[in-house]
Amino acid sequence: MPMLRGTLDPLVLKTVSWSPMHAFEITNWIEERSDGRVQIDDAALLQALHRLEDRGYLAGEWGVTENARRAKYYSLTAAGRAYLRTEAARLVDHLDAIVSILSAKTSTPRG
Amino acid sequence: MRFDIRPGVRRLLRFSIRTRAAMKRDADDELEALIACRVDHLIARGMSADDARAEAIRRLGAPLDEVRHQLHTNADQRERRMRVVEFVESVMEDVRYAARGLARRPAFTAVAVLTLAIGVGATTAIFSAVNVLILRPLPYARPNELMKVSVVLPAEGARPSLTLGFAYPTYTTLREGQRSFSDFAAYALAPQLTLTSGDVERVDGEYVSASYLRTLGLAPERGRDFDRSLDAHAGAPHEAIISYALWQRRFNADPSIIGRAIDIDREPWTIIGVGPREFRGLSGQADVFLPVATTAASLPGPGMHLVSVVARRAPGVTALRATDEMSALGARLANEFRNPMGKLASEVHVSALDALRIDPLVKRSLLVLFGAAWLVLGIACVNVANLLLGRASARRREIAVRVAIGAGRGRLVRLFLVESLMLALLGGIASAAVAWIGAHVLASVDPTTVFRGTSRGDATIGAVAFSSIALDWRALAFAMSTSLVVGLFFGLAPALGATRASLSDALKSDRTAAGAGVGRRTLVVAEIALALVLLVGSGLMLRTVAKLLSVDVGFDKSNVLTFSLTPPPGSIADDSMPGFYSRILDRVRAVPGIADAALGSCGPFVPTCRLTSLWRPDAPVPDQVYTGMEVVTPNWFSVMHVRLVRGRPFSPTDHSGGPSVVLLNESAAKTFFGADDPIGQRISVGRSVKDAEVIGIVGSVRQLPDSAPGPITYVPATQSPPEEMIVFVRTMSNAATVASALRLAVREVAPQRSMYDMQTMTQRQGVATAKNRFRAMLLTAFALAALLLAAIGLYGVLSFAVTARTREIGIRIALGAERASVQRLVIGEGLALVGVGVVIGLAGAFAGARLLRTFLFDLTPSDPVTYAAIIVVLGVTAVLASWVPALRASRVDPVIALRAE
Repeated sequence: MPMLRGTLDPLVLKTVSWSPMHAFEITNWIEERSDGRVQIDDAALLQALHRLEDRGYLAGEWGVTENARRAKYYSLTAAGRAYLRTEAARLVDHLDAIVSILSAKTSTPRG
Repeated sequence: MRFDIRPGVRRLLRFSIRTRAAMKRDADDELEALIACRVDHLIARGMSADDARAEAIRRLGAPLDEVRHQLHTNADQRERRMRVVEFVESVMEDVRYAARGLARRPAFTAVAVLTLAIGVGATTAIFSAVNVLILRPLPYARPNELMKVSVVLPAEGARPSLTLGFAYPTYTTLREGQRSFSDFAAYALAPQLTLTSGDVERVDGEYVSASYLRTLGLAPERGRDFDRSLDAHAGAPHEAIISYALWQRRFNADPSIIGRAIDIDREPWTIIGVGPREFRGLSGQADVFLPVATTAASLPGPGMHLVSVVARRAPGVTALRATDEMSALGARLANEFRNPMGKLASEVHVSALDALRIDPLVKRSLLVLFGAAWLVLGIACVNVANLLLGRASARRREIAVRVAIGAGRGRLVRLFLVESLMLALLGGIASAAVAWIGAHVLASVDPTTVFRGTSRGDATIGAVAFSSIALDWRALAFAMSTSLVVGLFFGLAPALGATRASLSDALKSDRTAAGAGVGRRTLVVAEIALALVLLVGSGLMLRTVAKLLSVDVGFDKSNVLTFSLTPPPGSIADDSMPGFYSRILDRVRAVPGIADAALGSCGPFVPTCRLTSLWRPDAPVPDQVYTGMEVVTPNWFSVMHVRLVRGRPFSPTDHSGGPSVVLLNESAAKTFFGADDPIGQRISVGRSVKDAEVIGIVGSVRQLPDSAPGPITYVPATQSPPEEMIVFVRTMSNAATVASALRLAVREVAPQRSMYDMQTMTQRQGVATAKNRFRAMLLTAFALAALLLAAIGLYGVLSFAVTARTREIGIRIALGAERASVQRLVIGEGLALVGVGVVIGLAGAFAGARLLRTFLFDLTPSDPVTYAAIIVVLGVTAVLASWVPALRASRVDPVIALRAE
């Protein structure tokens, strides 16, 4: 299922708010948390990470993984935290509205 | 693995910009890492290596090459953006560094900014005055076609040449006869018109021909212009055009003004138009324009040269041809200009209106001041250069350290330039402020009090007013750009010089810096020389003012109050001492604190005195025919404390029925009678005094402080009462203190608003010397600025020298030199510089003071008192400026000084 527009950035930011992570950790964490229901294309994730870093919401630094691989770790900046707060609120509100529309019971039976 | 590095930290720590290739490599690495991690993860879940790899690629969402390409493109864009940000940030860094540096040395910063502000600000203010008064084209259509036509009476004997207007009939004759001009307009000042209907107010006006505005290429802002046919015959309808200023001020810009009635000099007029904005007539002071044809009949005939003529050259007519035609016409009209003696030669002259826009003396004053401003600017530049040089030298070590840790020279030069530019910017802002204040001061110079008054006859137009001086964007741009150029130019040289120094030299010792001092010393010598030139100029001006104020004017000017009176129409009988004035005098004498009061038609320091001709019926025509004529009450001489030299004063018996009598002043007696005894002789003066007997000689009174007393004939008021009189009041104490009581008293007996222009004699003298004081004030301001700047320069050089020679001074003190001798060493060095500067400056001042010759009163341009005083002032200043560095030198601790190496 394709990602809803505007949901990727808050998801990524939320994820790294727990602790600094590299790209695979982020996508894996999201996948596990959603029981596999949310899958992100890796290309899209990398672009999102670079974009968020460029805007100053994420800070990236090279490190070494547990498996001794070189990887770039991202952590949330203060600006990113603030952005996450407002974007998350907006998104939750939006989804809530969608849910309430879709789950409304049909009150007037046909025919 | 935790990294908590915030964005920007990399930039803050000034890590070098990542190259494009490095950023691409990073993107590739990250992509590979992501794929590898997923492969590891999948293998850990039991997938085969190949399958895991295929799955990881699938999870990319796009072909690997495409993804890689996309990431590269993004990286490129980011890198480009970063580069700009990086540059801006590095400049900001320099700015912050420079700001910190300037803030850390507030004295240096303040002095540099102040120096620029004074130099550039003064130049800008004077520039705006010169721009408005001399450079800017006249605010009329095609102003180079406009000419002024006047009568010139060539110099004759002691009398200088006079430029006059025309009698009205002469003007009309010329207008009909000429072919060179497409328009030929007349205007005559109509001073002190009384506006009634509403608040009573006195304004100046102009009688103008109907073509006046059209000739100048102007049109009324509202309403209509005068009808062209108006000039054809006398007795035109009472139609008036009012000035835009009057419309705004008196009528609150009332849109329904056209067609309204207004009482001017107690006659009803209809307002038909509102003049163009900013237009106050060519006289520069008119608020009402009245058709000359309405009053042509009442304008005095031949002999009264009241009408000024402005004309527009017809297309294709050269100025030369117009001049020739006018001269030829003038020669034919020569009879028009005969005085009663039939003696006067006259010529008709044509000159470009633009050449007459400002009194030549004012023009020269302004140009002198403009020159002075440039001198101050020069000094300011030298000072700024000196300050920056000094600062650069003082920072050689810092620079060397920076070079040692790898700063590029370009970067260092940029650092210096940013600092100079910041200084220049601050200086620019400050100088704009100084220029703004200066322009306001100049604009507030009331031209009617300062620069009119003494300008005689028809020689200049007053349309270009000081009050129109204002800073426009051009002047502000001038201030800013001058400041920036000074900052850049004088900042670049030290920046290049200081950064060129070889590393090892600078780190080893400061001594090389002392060598750079030679240039700075030369600059200080130049400053002192320039300051001396200005000081001499201002000194001469100040001495002139002092001499003018202390000159013997021939009467006692203290405790005299004067005011003018316009009697109501019909209140003066032609044949007797009028009752109106008797009532006024009686009432005035009754005011406490007043000793006596007298009447005079004119008086000293009153700019509007008439000149008329005097002749002896029984003698051959003399070279000089002009005399001032003043109608006075018999007690005028006792009120003014003018002494009677010989003969008898006026007495009550010299009434209208009795034989005509006059008094001459000494100058008139000498001019017209030479060695003869005038007493008992008979003379005629002007048109009103025929065959009168000279009964006495009185002391000469200066009409203006700066000109020798001229011949004056006094006529008793009982025998020749004029309409308007000035009341001279001798008070027992300070004249100004009784002014309000006097005003109230006069109001009891005089009609509303008939009294005006109340001034003490001291005030009148102030007005009469205003030009001189104005010049002295401005030149002194410039000279003091120059002196201050030169002192700052001297101080800078000496304190720099002391710093550079700390070691040497330390050794001297260690070897037993006394502190006083160390001080003498430094002060002596300062005085040596001043000495050289004074010698050079004196040469400049001798040359420069010649330009001021026309402005001097009772002084030669090489007045020794002034020069001596100025040299003393400079010497004292030099000692003061050297004192602080000298004190610092004498306090050098030898131990510290020697250890510093």
